[in-house]
Amino acid sequence: MKGQLLSANHAAALAATLAARANRTGRGFCSGVYPITPSTECMEFLCAQQIEKGRVVRVESEHSAMGVCIGAAAAGARSFTATASNGLAYMAENCVAAAGLRLPVVMAVANRTMGPPWNIWADHGDALMLRDLGLIQIYCADNQELFDTVLSAFRLAEDQRVLMPAMVCMEGFILSHTVAQTEIPSQEQVDRFLPLTSVPQQLGSTPHSLGQIELPAQTETHRMQHHQAMLAAETVFEEVRGHFADIFGRELQGALVPYRTEDADTLIVSLGTMGLTAQRVVDRARERGEKVGSLRIRMLRPLPVAAIAREFAGKSRIAILDRDISLGFGGVLWGELARLAQAPVVQNYLAGIGGGDVRPEHLERVLADLKGRRQSGTPVNVEAI
Amino acid sequence: MHPLGNSDSTNGVVLPQGTDLPLEIRVHGRGGQGGVTCAKLIAALYARMGLAVQTFGDYGSERSGAPVQAFTRVDRLAITNRNKVYRPDHLLVLDAGLLETPVLAGVAPGALILLNTSGAPADFGARYRGYRLATVDATDIAREQGIGSSSVVIVNTTIVGAYARILGLPLQLLEEVYASFGVPGDLAAARLAHERVRIQEASADGASPENAAPQAPGQAVVAPLTAPAQDFPIELRTGLWSNQSPSYCRYTPPCNAACPAGNDIVGFVQALKEQGPEAAAAILLRTQALPSVCGRVCPAPCMNHCNREAFDGAVNIRSLERWIADNSQVVLPKLAALRPRRVAVVGGGPAGLSAAYQLALRGHGVTIYEAAPALGGVLRYGIPAFRLPLDVLDRDLSRILDLGVKARCGERLGPAELSRLAAEYDSVIVCTGFGAPHQLAVPGEELAGVEQGLPFLDRVKAGSESVSGHVVVVGGGNSAIDCARSALRLGAASVRLVYRRSRQDMPAIDEEIAEAEQEGVRLMTRRQPVRCLGSGRVAALVLAEVEQGAPDASGRCRPVVTERTTELPCDRVLLALGQQDGLEPLLPARWKVDAGRAWSEGQALSVFFAGDCATGEGTVTHAIGNGHRAALRALAALEGEEAEELEGDREAGATQRVVAPAQIRFSHFEPDPPGRDRHLPLNQARAGFQEFNQGLAGPAEAERCFSCGQCTSCDTCLVYCPDGIIYRAQDGYRIDLDHCKGCGMCVAECPRSAMEMKDKALPGGSR
Amino acid sequence: MRNEPLLGGMAQSAVDRETPLLRPGNTNCGGCGMSNLLQMMRRAVADRPVQLVIPACCAAISAGAFPQAGLGAPTVLTTFASAAAVATGAAAVARLNGEETRVICLAGDGGSYDIGFATMSAAAERNEDILYICYDNEIYGNTGGQRSSATPAGAVTTSTPGGKVEQKKDIMAIMAAHRIPYAASLSLAHADDTLRKLRHALDLRGFRFLHVLSPCPTGWKSEPALGMELVRLAVRSGLYPVLEVFDGRRHQINIEPEFSDEALEMYLSLQRRFQNTGLKASDLRPAIERHWLNLRVLSGRIVPARRETR
Repeated sequence: MKGQLLSANHAAALAATLAARANRTGRGFCSGVYPITPSTECMEFLCAQQIEKGRVVRVESEHSAMGVCIGAAAAGARSFTATASNGLAYMAENCVAAAGLRLPVVMAVANRTMGPPWNIWADHGDALMLRDLGLIQIYCADNQELFDTVLSAFRLAEDQRVLMPAMVCMEGFILSHTVAQTEIPSQEQVDRFLPLTSVPQQLGSTPHSLGQIELPAQTETHRMQHHQAMLAAETVFEEVRGHFADIFGRELQGALVPYRTEDADTLIVSLGTMGLTAQRVVDRARERGEKVGSLRIRMLRPLPVAAIAREFAGKSRIAILDRDISLGFGGVLWGELARLAQAPVVQNYLAGIGGGDVRPEHLERVLADLKGRRQSGTPVNVEAI
Repeated sequence: MHPLGNSDSTNGVVLPQGTDLPLEIRVHGRGGQGGVTCAKLIAALYARMGLAVQTFGDYGSERSGAPVQAFTRVDRLAITNRNKVYRPDHLLVLDAGLLETPVLAGVAPGALILLNTSGAPADFGARYRGYRLATVDATDIAREQGIGSSSVVIVNTTIVGAYARILGLPLQLLEEVYASFGVPGDLAAARLAHERVRIQEASADGASPENAAPQAPGQAVVAPLTAPAQDFPIELRTGLWSNQSPSYCRYTPPCNAACPAGNDIVGFVQALKEQGPEAAAAILLRTQALPSVCGRVCPAPCMNHCNREAFDGAVNIRSLERWIADNSQVVLPKLAALRPRRVAVVGGGPAGLSAAYQLALRGHGVTIYEAAPALGGVLRYGIPAFRLPLDVLDRDLSRILDLGVKARCGERLGPAELSRLAAEYDSVIVCTGFGAPHQLAVPGEELAGVEQGLPFLDRVKAGSESVSGHVVVVGGGNSAIDCARSALRLGAASVRLVYRRSRQDMPAIDEEIAEAEQEGVRLMTRRQPVRCLGSGRVAALVLAEVEQGAPDASGRCRPVVTERTTELPCDRVLLALGQQDGLEPLLPARWKVDAGRAWSEGQALSVFFAGDCATGEGTVTHAIGNGHRAALRALAALEGEEAEELEGDREAGATQRVVAPAQIRFSHFEPDPPGRDRHLPLNQARAGFQEFNQGLAGPAEAERCFSCGQCTSCDTCLVYCPDGIIYRAQDGYRIDLDHCKGCGMCVAECPRSAMEMKDKALPGGSR
Repeated sequence: MRNEPLLGGMAQSAVDRETPLLRPGNTNCGGCGMSNLLQMMRRAVADRPVQLVIPACCAAISAGAFPQAGLGAPTVLTTFASAAAVATGAAAVARLNGEETRVICLAGDGGSYDIGFATMSAAAERNEDILYICYDNEIYGNTGGQRSSATPAGAVTTSTPGGKVEQKKDIMAIMAAHRIPYAASLSLAHADDTLRKLRHALDLRGFRFLHVLSPCPTGWKSEPALGMELVRLAVRSGLYPVLEVFDGRRHQINIEPEFSDEALEMYLSLQRRFQNTGLKASDLRPAIERHWLNLRVLSGRIVPARRETR
């Protein structure tokens, strides 16, 4: 295995650095950063880089970190930040603003449980909280994938058909702090991969205001335009994958990662690293002769509805894992996906909430539970079965 | 749903006859007028009748003054409609200015419209005939009751009073509702509106259908937010937000109002500042026949009224006039008269000269008849050379004579000659000045050495007078001061000036008094000579002390002569006690003088009187103004017209238009002490009759003029206009009224009161 | 008149900015002090390229409704607390690209004293190349008039119906304590003072802070026409010190007040926000005197600098 030994946080920062440098002949790069566990390493790494025509501003809050990114992007520069958990919650208002202003800011989120009570470990609830606000969301499962996705997120977000901010997620510690070999392309390759950032609405010298008040009919139209831009991101992402393969000679993981799903009658559906665990469990089950597959959802926004529905078609039992809970409802992923399935049993399993380690045994239990069900039930915690 | 109300509701208030439910009400107002509260008050009225109501404002990002809407619905059943009101049964328009916006959209014929306007329903014409139209001047009432600020008057509580009246709702109901809203104080305004609202029933010929269509929500094409920056200038007529707008105006400066000659003082001072003495003289000479003279000897009431006095000292206007006269060569062009007249002027003093000058300027033929050997009257014979050198007088005289004025000097006229002139000329203007001087009327007045001041001054000017010993001058006017200072120059051992009132009461020019004192004249005020002592020649004057009595009509204290006396030894007594009216000996029998004109047997003659012989005002400047007016009167009488007024007279008549110190924004100006006149050194001054006052060193004093009430294009309005909608224009400034919000800051900031707010003309009658 | 025409006649002349920053047809209230400020900014900006960064506040409404531009310069409207952060990004990118663009934050007192305080403080601490202008109308005007930490004690607001109890923050002292290159309070009623400080602040690099007492007829319940007069009274009475602080060290008092109670009483009586709390000049005078004593010490001058014109 070739590549540099890097934590996922560092990989994200390195991807951002290469992207930043790639815009040196454009309007440059500017980023606002603020530390929070488990994302801190990412900003630390970024702060240690020399970036030609770039500036990393060490601000006083996540809110301002995104504020700087908004200002930079509004001025036409490439922009990036990283945060987690309560930091993301604190940043949320400006995440909305970045989306509302159609600014292609890229951010890396090390998913962490929201507190208090304080908990620094992994939970997807922080990013899912921003699900509806106009940020592209892609969840990653390993270091290489994270690096590749962060790098690609710039191309995706900055595509003129998209122009929406993008969030690339990694589970806190589980991925953010895991060190593994990561293949890093040359700057020259990155330069070819990423066109210069272009924000058409950027501030120039023309009297023109970004973000001014709108009437209901205008906002309605704009919301629909933003929705179309988000939907376009699904197609554009496929194009980006093509460019990625052409330039780097590797494959960028797609919006969905199906694993042995074609002939499966049972599916385990998940976000992030749990998807890799699920693949291991699928292999074991296959050894037992069970027709089990795994579907890892990478892209939650835009949600590749048709592709997911195709994957779900003909399956009889679907387990949807959630490392999060929408209180008073259940798993968010389940809420998103259940309607796309025709299967008689679509069961929600809450796994690893608050950062608990989700082991193959948990998923084995999930499969056993699933097998015993004749119909879907209310969400259950994997520790309780 | 259970019905909530009916016609016999529990609190006894019934829904007025003819009110159909559900009822929809729309209120149009401006931000700050209380439109939303108005709708709430109306809702509360109906709620009190036991009906279901709903009320809400149409909130936007509106600002004070911007159009806003509010709605109220009334029904018997609970209301589930959560939409805005598109087809109102009742429409309240809180500001008539809003009628320029589509407030009538969706209002069907027969609907009730209540307008806040000073106009009557009939003023609104055919377009409104199909409606039941009511009007009330709620702004006037609310302003009178002090509700809101003067530019944003809150009219909601007032107009609801009118609304209640239209619906026949009792005032008791309003009282309850206003109490519950915490605005019981506004009831008085509501009552007035209740009284004053005017109602016109709908007529069958209907409203024009264009009003009836509700406004369709716009289906505009919306550019994406990612569109490249493009400038779309804002399009909003914020000028509709206010019913007031600023404008430039000319208020009368107090100096102009105070000038007896009608000089446009601010005009010539500003012209001096901006364009120099020639331009200033061109303005000054329009009203001033004798600028070189007045620039020296005028008592300058303008300076007493100067608004700068209350700040850092009056502008030295007199000396600016002198500067202009001494430093310009301008001659006004002589106009061609439509019907040239021949006018005789009797008397070549200031009034006569002024009359002759004004007539000659207008192209008429003038002949001056003067008893003395030369023109000038008191100017030539009564004012010493150290105040008014003869060459200065001659300069002004030659300007007058150059206009073609003929002078016949040495001709003293009597009644017969006057009659002859009246027949011979188109018009005669008599300006013979005062008559004989007043006597002292005390024992010993006949003693040698006691004599009148005016002949003394005449002899001094002729160089045929000498003085020695101790001199006492009696009087407090300019002649008294002139006598005293002349005596000093001619070698008097001492000069005392005796005056019966206080120094402040002396009619002489203040500076002259001060200068006299500096030169060594000693004032003895509150003294009245009661006897002259001496054998054959005066040796002493007995002076009684004078106490202050009650103020007389002039505001000065009436002098009360006491028994306490002192003796003042002296060698000579000069009397300068003023002069008597001098007209009597001149008038032919049967002539009567009334209002400055001669009458014979009920017939007005074309003979006019001006100057001291007519008015006794006693100053050169009054005489100049008076002569000017008489000339205009004479001309007008010949034409059978009303005399044109001097500009100053016209504006001074309207006293409220004279700028008061409180109307000057002192903070705009930097303190800058008045420019003082230069004077000869004292020893040199006392040694002879060289002009003592050397005037100003330059025209910089003109910079100090506030230019009260007259725009100087100082840019203050432009700089402080919050909306930047005042622009430079060819002649001053232009206000973009399409965008003026009527805040009035330009008017408030104008340093010199040259702007004012005016009510706009509104639909249905101006406010 | 030696001071006429005002500003030497530069307004709408060749040295003025050709087009306004606040355009006619904007929706600001009549007599809004922030409008006055924008007119003066136009004159100071002249031909310098500028970008405006405006948080949620009345000035954001001045920008007009989409897509029309009420402001005559490129502008980004930010969330309430973010002006200085967004301006940081915009200014950084301008600097990276060698552009002369002057990035100006235009924020109210709420966005500066309160919710945007940390952001502003941090940008000042980093000495970002931003001109931060706080137009202080002493109220949350955009939301209809609630108290902020800039609201003076004794003022009635919709959230302090009985009158605010707490004192106004001393924002100038706070900003001076950041040791930024330039902090100044300016008087809108003294156009020359305003223009000079705006120009100076525009030309400097680093974080510059301008505090502008900005009359709000709507919130202050005062006559729109009297806005400038109210500022003048605040200056004359000593209530609003007009000073400059260079590098957080050198203090310079620019306009010497008269400290007249008459001016103070007039200031209070012309605003209905003070009328129900019975606030008197004598209530304010001790605090004003203490404050000025401190300013005198800081400015190193016990003797008044220059008498303000009457």
